[in-house]
Amino acid sequence: MDAAVIAIWVLRLIFLALLYAFLWMVVRALVRDLRAAAREPTLELGRLVVTASPSGEPAAGVSFALDAITSLGRDVNNSIVLDDDFASAAHAALTYRGRAWYVEDLGSTNGTFVNGSQVDGLSPLAFGDEIQIGQVRLRLERARG
Amino acid sequence: MTAAPVTAGLRAVGREARRLRITPRFRGRELTLLVIVAIALIVGDLSLGATRLLKEAQLAGDQPPPDLAVLAAPAILVIYLIGLFAVHGALVLAGRRTDQILLPTVGLLGGIGLLLMIRLPQDLAGRLGGLAQTQLLWLVIGLTIVVLLAIAVRNDVWLRRYKYTWAAVGVGLLLLTFVFGRDINGARLSLTIGPFSGQPSELLKVILVVFLAGYLSENRPLLQEESTRLGPFRLPPLPYLAPMVAMWAIALGIVIVQRDLGAALLFFAVFLLLLYVSTARFSFVVLGLAAFVVGAGLLYFVFDHVRTRIDIWVDPFADPTGAGFQVVQALHAFARGGLIGTGLGAGLPSIAGRPPIPALHTDFPFAALGEELGLVGILAVLGLYLVLVERGLRIASAAQDEFRAILAAGLSLVIGVQAFIIAAGNLKLIPLTGITLPFVSYGGSSLLANSVIVGMLIALSERTREPLPPPRRPGRIRRLLDRGAA
Repeated sequence: MDAAVIAIWVLRLIFLALLYAFLWMVVRALVRDLRAAAREPTLELGRLVVTASPSGEPAAGVSFALDAITSLGRDVNNSIVLDDDFASAAHAALTYRGRAWYVEDLGSTNGTFVNGSQVDGLSPLAFGDEIQIGQVRLRLERARG
Repeated sequence: MTAAPVTAGLRAVGREARRLRITPRFRGRELTLLVIVAIALIVGDLSLGATRLLKEAQLAGDQPPPDLAVLAAPAILVIYLIGLFAVHGALVLAGRRTDQILLPTVGLLGGIGLLLMIRLPQDLAGRLGGLAQTQLLWLVIGLTIVVLLAIAVRNDVWLRRYKYTWAAVGVGLLLLTFVFGRDINGARLSLTIGPFSGQPSELLKVILVVFLAGYLSENRPLLQEESTRLGPFRLPPLPYLAPMVAMWAIALGIVIVQRDLGAALLFFAVFLLLLYVSTARFSFVVLGLAAFVVGAGLLYFVFDHVRTRIDIWVDPFADPTGAGFQVVQALHAFARGGLIGTGLGAGLPSIAGRPPIPALHTDFPFAALGEELGLVGILAVLGLYLVLVERGLRIASAAQDEFRAILAAGLSLVIGVQAFIIAAGNLKLIPLTGITLPFVSYGGSSLLANSVIVGMLIALSERTREPLPPPRRPGRIRRLLDRGAA
């Protein structure tokens, strides 16, 4: 009788202990995952991915990490240099204000387009939107976290 | 002799896999965790079987049998474990770099629920068969859904592009239930179409999150604008508050027509959380809570069924054998459980062969776990739900765009909020509402809906960079802002 009761006690305690063993292993994995994510440079606020670029500079598929202010154009002093015949020297600027991205046309000759419609002055950008400058198309994406 | 066709078949499968660029990928973490889950469930079942034998012997006045080491329902447990490892195997073969923690966590919750169903009187639900058998059937179907979604969903265009269609489907389901639903225990929840019956509100919570993810990711910049002022609050343009008001009205409608307080609370809470997640504006939450208080106050004074629930919550001991019976019994169950519980199978002295709480298998599994596993056990169960929510939010933070981020956050918050509402209801922390404890409660609709959620979360967690869908045409916001600029 006593032996049976003790055996059941032990089984119950092992069951509870196993629940916590599982939780402990999961939490350890979660913490490791979060630490690994924290080690990665997360200072970037977003990424700009080149989806089409006939001139090959920048090449299609390249992605740029963005700072709060990013200038785009043909001039070599821009943050992102677009060697495209239809891009102006100082073509457009991407800015991160508050919690949102904005694109601003800097008086370019051929204009800046977002999802196919021309930007007039300052325009908000959402992640996933496509910007066209000259013949270069770029897509704004969230930073990899 | 039979080896030749088999190897030929394997080669064909291999060729097909290479053509689709599928390479199996070892999922070590998932396997380790699943092994612990399997051991834990087997030990739990052993303790349940031994307790049961001992109780039978005591009732008969005999000595306990010398060999107590028996599984309570070996076939059911083994089938469930085989199902879990089969899902793992399928995910390994599919070779996607997806989350490895969700499946074992859900597997453990489902297994604990299954142990509870094995332990309860088998004729509680049974139209199809025993309680545990039916639950096993639903769990296996649920696992199938998880694996299908986790492997097959690679693209979310079908979700994001048709968000208003989804919303229409959801409202349609709701209206169908309003009109054709059957009343059970005063709540009009279940809908029967031909041979099938189910609770549409379970599916509705998934549809709601899909719609909200689509709507909020598209209109976020606008909702963050501050053009209307209401006292100390700055609000977005008034037309864009319409969905908020609509949500509030839907929640009220569910309470009034369906008398389903739990679903209404769940929908409204998830809606407010998602609004906060996507806009980071606390004023929305304050405004939403104010609307909730006003709505709840109105309902309390106008509708009897709401007032009954609140009165029971305030003082269940006013009528301990009538209206407050369930809640009082649940509180006693927690008290009997104490720190480490009475042990699986040892709780709940039944009254004439019935458990003391009528809806134990659907609405009060948390109380049953509290009695049999004690405070230590239910804290572990709550920890498992926290893990699910953490994984969901982590998947959201790593998502490539806002739709996926809000979708992942919303799906995991549905599970978290639902677990909180029913656990807190069982504990008399908030008024009791009849919703299920995800993955633990008995019930097909609930298990299926939650399986859909887990399957989609696993699919959304994929690490490789998939091409995003083509950019949408300039939306309403853009046109509006253009007009404003001009």
